[in-house]
Amino acid sequence: MFEHKEIIIDDNNKLLNREGLFLKEFQSDFRQVRFFSMVIVQKAPPEIKEINLLEQQISELIKNAVKHGNNKDINKKVRIWAAFDTSFAHVIVEDEGEGFKQLEDWNEFNKKRSECFENQDFDAMEKYFAYRTDKSDENDGGNALFATLEYWDGGVVFNNKKNCIAVYKNFEKKKHGIDLNK
Amino acid sequence: MEIKLKKYSSTYIIEVVGDMDLYSSFELKNVVTKMLAKDIKNYVVDLAKVDYIDSSGIGVLIHIFSNIKKLNRILKISNVHGSVEKVIKLTKLSQYFPIVGSVKEALIQIEQAKKVQ
Repeated sequence: MFEHKEIIIDDNNKLLNREGLFLKEFQSDFRQVRFFSMVIVQKAPPEIKEINLLEQQISELIKNAVKHGNNKDINKKVRIWAAFDTSFAHVIVEDEGEGFKQLEDWNEFNKKRSECFENQDFDAMEKYFAYRTDKSDENDGGNALFATLEYWDGGVVFNNKKNCIAVYKNFEKKKHGIDLNK
Repeated sequence: MEIKLKKYSSTYIIEVVGDMDLYSSFELKNVVTKMLAKDIKNYVVDLAKVDYIDSSGIGVLIHIFSNIKKLNRILKISNVHGSVEKVIKLTKLSQYFPIVGSVKEALIQIEQAKKVQ
């Protein structure tokens, strides 16, 4: 059955509640995006790290905040709130930029993209591989948020200003090891 | 990230070693762009030694595949595994990318495709 997910825009969404989450602040140093993500992820239990998948997914959120939100302005901060447990990951990333103005447009783009994938329409699909704005550069994959929406199965929410993203993922408790084929 | 090239018949095997992330992925794009300019026909991108990919890396794979296809040349991507496989699945591109199990399998498929051409 065709299931369409979208990014929610809602200041009052419970995922934006920072209660019980720890806070880390970083300057917008693009060279350190992956390092920042590693600092956050080291607080997560190994069961939910899936080798480096959790780090990779958080790194995308930080990259968007540093690069697209704060335009790599070293004087602007990125604030990250997070909480982890063996059954969930909850992360909020806020930048000091003007907000992701094209968010509604992105949702519409993603809807069309999902329809192409659902119909296995590979020719039409090529138009939807990357979401670009006039600020995108050649190193932007333009596909990070598609994976964000798939990975964070408990929801992806922006505040109304659209400079703060909250994400939540549920993990099944596993007896041992990591099943990479799942 | 390091890139090693090997040649087998008319096919170039591009072995990527290390993370394909926001700091390094462009290197693969540059290598393939140069190879396309030199009229190289067949490509295998081997990801056996890549354990991390992000949206920039996925973007580069899309870019090179689309350019190789446009010129009617052949690309196979081999040894996709672990979290790289998971990230490709999350972007729903597993069916789109020309993914094969091994370099050997890639070379066999390229030889077969050449016979048809």
